[in-house]
Amino acid sequence: MAQAPYAVDVSNVTVSYGERRALDGVSLSIPHSSVFGLLGPNGSGKSTLLSLVAGLRTPDEGQVLVLGRPPLPDVRRQTGVVFQESCLDPLMTLRETLALHGKLFGLGGDTLRSRIEALLGRFGLAERGNEAVRTLSGGLRRRLELARALLPEPKLLLLDEPSTGLDPDSRRALWEHLRATRAAGVTLLLATNDVLEAERECDTVAFLSRGRLVAQGTPSDLKHGLRRDAVLLECNDGSAAVISKAIADWPGVGTVVAAGQTLHVTVDDVSSFVPRLFQAGADGVRAIRMEPSTLEDAYFEVAGAPLRGDEEEPAS
Amino acid sequence: MNATLTLSAWGALFSRDVRAFLRSRSQLGSSLLFPLMLLALLGIGVSDGLDPSSLRNGDYTTYLVPGIMVMTALFSSTFSSASFYQDRDSGMLKVLLVSPHTAVSILIGKALGGIAIGSIQALAILAIASAIPAIDLEWQYGIVLSVLLAVATVVLLNLLLSGLAQVLASRIRTMQGFHLIMNVVLFPLLFLSGAFFPLSELPTWLQALALADPLSYAVDLLQLALYADGSADNIGLIPDFAVLGALAAALLVLGARRPPLME
Repeated sequence: MAQAPYAVDVSNVTVSYGERRALDGVSLSIPHSSVFGLLGPNGSGKSTLLSLVAGLRTPDEGQVLVLGRPPLPDVRRQTGVVFQESCLDPLMTLRETLALHGKLFGLGGDTLRSRIEALLGRFGLAERGNEAVRTLSGGLRRRLELARALLPEPKLLLLDEPSTGLDPDSRRALWEHLRATRAAGVTLLLATNDVLEAERECDTVAFLSRGRLVAQGTPSDLKHGLRRDAVLLECNDGSAAVISKAIADWPGVGTVVAAGQTLHVTVDDVSSFVPRLFQAGADGVRAIRMEPSTLEDAYFEVAGAPLRGDEEEPAS
Repeated sequence: MNATLTLSAWGALFSRDVRAFLRSRSQLGSSLLFPLMLLALLGIGVSDGLDPSSLRNGDYTTYLVPGIMVMTALFSSTFSSASFYQDRDSGMLKVLLVSPHTAVSILIGKALGGIAIGSIQALAILAIASAIPAIDLEWQYGIVLSVLLAVATVVLLNLLLSGLAQVLASRIRTMQGFHLIMNVVLFPLLFLSGAFFPLSELPTWLQALALADPLSYAVDLLQLALYADGSADNIGLIPDFAVLGALAAALLVLGARRPPLME
């Protein structure tokens, strides 16, 4: 049978929760063996879109095709899902968890056993295979969930905020596994609000805002043509909040995002912003650096709202 | 200061739980309804029906065996159904629902475990009871046929209870609400079923209510299997199977038609 042109093809999809539209006329196409990121704040519709592709719900309008067909049970055989929150039975052992999943996907006997052992080994879980899931740390649970999703050797892997809550080492390890998975020809569709993750790992990124797809392209395309400059202000202890509040309403200032005592600021024109900063008395600023634009800046540019925050998406 | 803080915390926790209780209509209603029904049904039943002359062999322990089997299936079914909520709360239900199976198929698979456990536990009660010399089971249709009849009854009853649990679980959001509704529905059904006292001595209106109780048919079937020569007071094999079978099928279809609550 001929391969479908896209791993995922979403056409003009609409989903409403009561009065509110969680997705509003969203269309996107995801090529095979690519990494596609859905970027948007909480509540922008990312999880709803993933749940449509996973077959957990159907759209009110429009069409979702996975590997050329609607995501009905037989198509779901080729799809793996890692949900945002931990979805594990805490009382089952790691091997039992994987065995149950394998049987749900029609695996059994030596094939199942060998895949379980291979995945436990690959994810560094072999020695804990007979322990209960409840004994695992958050990072190890994430690894187990990824191993479970990969057990049936899916062609499409859906990941909802895969690295949320992980420490840097666990995050790095997770992405090493995901890169290897992609290299094996699996298409990855991930929902994230981690700009760096999307920028570094995705071939294509779609910006979602209030249920609408507001932009789509490669990370460099999305950043290209940004009219704003990005500036990093390193502030003295206790000054970041004061400065952030002071400059937020200045004309020509876009986003002001604080990370500790560092402010990431986008401005229309850095050559007028910096003198004004000093005129206003920049005593609390220790250093000023020009910063390459990020996808967060691009998001703000096209969505007109910051990437961080909530848009009140109903639970999916 | 510490005392004030503690009192403030107690006040906040107290009002939180009271608010949650008042918001849960199922909890509010069943918490009052259940004890009142218990008072009415059990009180009248024990007062009017528990005369040794109305019990077969005059032996209450022997009389209780079918009822205890039904009660065991009932409790087991309730506990098994709680796993639906555990799976939902742990996220496992979502994992099951994105597997290559329909939601109905997943629900049936989950119900099978509960049906098997409930059936085995009820039959274990029968096995233990039959080994106790003081309990005089008469096996109306011979021991093999009677045991087969008991097995069929218990499996059918567990199918029915599983269907009922699915119907409730797809409509009630919290496990507490589910347990309360199960209690408020199932305990009165149990008391009305003839499990604990014979129905023949009850007032006519209670006898009519008992005929509307599906558990009465399960108790009746087990009494027919385990006792002898009780046909005059029994409903009969065919109506028993017809009612239990039809209700089990209807509840299973109804439970499977509605998608499970995901949140």
